[in-house]
Amino acid sequence: MKTIILATAIRILIPLFIIFSVYTLFRGHNHPGGGFIGGLIGSIAFVFHTMTHGPQHTVDTFLKLNLYGYPRQPNQSRSLYLMRMMRVNVWRRRKMARHPDIKHHMVRIESVYIIATGLFLAATSGVFGLLSGQPFMHAYWSDFYIPVLGKPGTPILFDLGVYLLVIGVVLKITFVMSEE
Amino acid sequence: MFLAILAGFLLAFAAPLLHRWLGKWVLVPMATLPFSIFVYLLTLTPAVLGGDKLGELHDWAPSLNINLHFFLDGLSLLFALLITGFGTLIMLYAGGYLKGHPLLGRFYLYLTLFMTAMLGLVLAGNIISIFVFWELTSISSYLLIGFNQDKEKSRNSALQALLVTGLGGLALMGGLILLGMAGGSYTLSELLERGDLVTNHALYLPALVLILLGAFTKSAQFPFHFWLPNAMEAPTPVSAYLHSATMVKAGVYLLARLTPVMGGTDEWQYTLMLVGGITTVLGALLATQHTDLKAILAYTTISALGLLVTMTGIGTAPAMEAMVVFLLAHALYKGTLFLVAGNVDHATGTRDLTQLTGLSGSMRYTAIAALLAGMSMAGLLPFFGFIGKELLYEATLEESPFRWMLFAVSFFSGMVFVAVAIALGFGVFWRRSTKPTPLQHPDKLLLYLPPVVLASAGLVFGLLPGFFVTPLLRRAAESMLGVEQVFELALWHGFNLVLGLSLLTMALGYVVYRYANRLLSYASRFNKLYLFGPANLYQLTLKGFLIGATKITATIQNGYLRSYIAAIVTAQISLVVLALWDDGPRLELGNRLHELSQLRLYEVVLLLMIVSALVFLFKSQSRLTSIAIMGIVGYSAALLYILFGAPDVAATQLLIETLTVVIFVLILHKLPTFKYLSHATERYKYVLISLTFGAVMTYVILIVKQYPLDSQLKAYYGQNSYLLAHGRNIVNVILVDFRAFDTLGEIVVLAVAAIGIMAMLKLRMQKGEKP
Repeated sequence: MKTIILATAIRILIPLFIIFSVYTLFRGHNHPGGGFIGGLIGSIAFVFHTMTHGPQHTVDTFLKLNLYGYPRQPNQSRSLYLMRMMRVNVWRRRKMARHPDIKHHMVRIESVYIIATGLFLAATSGVFGLLSGQPFMHAYWSDFYIPVLGKPGTPILFDLGVYLLVIGVVLKITFVMSEE
Repeated sequence: MFLAILAGFLLAFAAPLLHRWLGKWVLVPMATLPFSIFVYLLTLTPAVLGGDKLGELHDWAPSLNINLHFFLDGLSLLFALLITGFGTLIMLYAGGYLKGHPLLGRFYLYLTLFMTAMLGLVLAGNIISIFVFWELTSISSYLLIGFNQDKEKSRNSALQALLVTGLGGLALMGGLILLGMAGGSYTLSELLERGDLVTNHALYLPALVLILLGAFTKSAQFPFHFWLPNAMEAPTPVSAYLHSATMVKAGVYLLARLTPVMGGTDEWQYTLMLVGGITTVLGALLATQHTDLKAILAYTTISALGLLVTMTGIGTAPAMEAMVVFLLAHALYKGTLFLVAGNVDHATGTRDLTQLTGLSGSMRYTAIAALLAGMSMAGLLPFFGFIGKELLYEATLEESPFRWMLFAVSFFSGMVFVAVAIALGFGVFWRRSTKPTPLQHPDKLLLYLPPVVLASAGLVFGLLPGFFVTPLLRRAAESMLGVEQVFELALWHGFNLVLGLSLLTMALGYVVYRYANRLLSYASRFNKLYLFGPANLYQLTLKGFLIGATKITATIQNGYLRSYIAAIVTAQISLVVLALWDDGPRLELGNRLHELSQLRLYEVVLLLMIVSALVFLFKSQSRLTSIAIMGIVGYSAALLYILFGAPDVAATQLLIETLTVVIFVLILHKLPTFKYLSHATERYKYVLISLTFGAVMTYVILIVKQYPLDSQLKAYYGQNSYLLAHGRNIVNVILVDFRAFDTLGEIVVLAVAAIGIMAMLKLRMQKGEKP
């Protein structure tokens, strides 16, 4: 489905959608919103993108990680190598992309991974309570307050898990439906 | 004891890893474990022989009266020693038998798992834990029989064994629960003292039938005997250990264990004697119809199990005495003979009796073991088997209305045992032959050591019966009879009737052996009879189940979403109507009509929108229109939510509607053209269902509104959501904090649904079908 207006508009709107969805997620604790609604808002952005550009393009644009790296030197320790790789991929991306020795890997983030991450976050948020002898899912809150977002605590983690899971599920369904 | 069981399970699952690290030396730790448990049990022996009953209690589910309770008395000790002692030898033997097999680690896993489960079964002091271990033995037996998973016959035999013993296990569970209800306790030591209470209880008969079903399937009694010969597809160590010495005796153990609780009644005695007797004769008869070493051994095992059950059924002191002695003797010689058969198979590549001769020269030690075991089986004088047979005859000749029947049964089986013993212990190895069967490899230490040890145990126990065996067996018989027993085992009873009958058995057994070929030639005449046998019945039942299941699935799972939804909705309607029909509160609308005047204009407009949209939906001729109309309905509902002050629900509804419409549009052009395939009447049927559902739900809501809302819950959440959970949005606080566990369950369902959708659509695409 190619409509130029929607296709152009959605590219500008996606960051807005994402920011708004994250805002809804964190706002949910005190005002209408929350992980489920936030996740739906976030996923709608991608669904519209898939609708106008096709699933392959959506995956290429948003769900591919470019990783840079070089093979491990023979006498380099494994941990040092891992740390170097992290630095290469986090702080020096621009410079490394043009470097001749550096190899370029593309990693596709499957939407199932997003689902799994969400489920993992939601489940582990309850373990904190379990570890300190309280019942599973007992909530813990920190004492400080972050502006806009509110007080961090384990329920926020749980909500984040729900958010990711909803995004993952909707993306998966959309991709599967539109790929065939 | 708990530690022993735990160690067993841990080591079982470490076995594949150990095999990877240690290679063929994996047998060292695997054999050490049963041996150390054996030694540990030996240290407990003096206490048990002194008449103590050792118990050990660990809480499992105390609220349900289910505990991990271990209980050691004479009977358990006898079985536990048998399991661990034999287990040690089997572990060694398996190391030799499956040497170099890539899956040896897995084999040890299954075997150790089985051994631990069996040990747990005989040590368990709570009937629920007995059942749990019982099922574990069934499962590990299934895995072991199907160990050669690439052979179809192994897989079928394994499944057959699992289904038959699993059926029995299910019955047993019911029986044990009924028994626990009748006796008022699930603890064995308490039940053992409540025999009278149980036998006079109304639940006694059903409990008895179910428990006997469990015991008979496990111990391969007629008409469930057919799985045992098929189970011989398993590697020989398994056949020797599970299907002759230990697992099949679990049923006998259970019967013996429950004798003080349930025994002594007419139903008990007659059923056991009848079934045991038929099994004994049938097993013996069928044993003469085969030439495969393992098949012969399997059928004689069935026969021996039948004898054990018969003895339990007779239930007198001499019978119990005979049963424990024969049980031990049988385990020793039958285990040996199985191992010998495995050796022969391993070395020559065949198990056919007619092709095997003169092996004594090339397999010296195996031959000696076979000879010793054969003599014990035949009941020759200095062997333990002799004592067993003497006692059997004595027990059957006790004063009772069936004495001659019982004697005939044991005499017949004794005769066949003699013939089989001669064929296996003598014929295969020692009969002179000009052309001995050639060997593929010479005898190996690991393969001949275990049978030699077992067979010599039979000889030693026979020569020195008073030393260790008698006190142990006495305590074992005592736990079945519930009274103190005094009996002494002796080799020589003097010249009496029983000795004469023993000699007669041997003479006739030799005759059977001589004319075995002629007996074999009758085999083909029985073929027609087998058509009506239980094995065939099993096949037919299995086929019937498959056909039935296919048909039911085709009816229920017809693949039309509409019929699923209709079924769900109809079920809910009928449940609600059922609940409201009789004593549901009556709806009083009369005094509430004035509430209608409070309707706002926008509410009426929304209602009209929804209703008219639904009418259009029913008439619409294109898919796009219907999706758009569904969208109108959804958005109107969302608006209603907003008007009634539920912004969270409204937001969710709005987003879901948007997503539904967008996703529909995404795949719209890929779907076939929109046509009404169903008949018009069928559509009216769905309209009717929808209308009824709407009416029922409205009725329910009206009734609910009739009563003042008890809003303690609302007040609680209102008060505590900010104080305890630091959130002002009550809905969200409930979702992520107060009832977070529910939400976790819901998102798990969501994730599973996504994976399911992916699997369904992807799989179809790979098949190249149109989705």
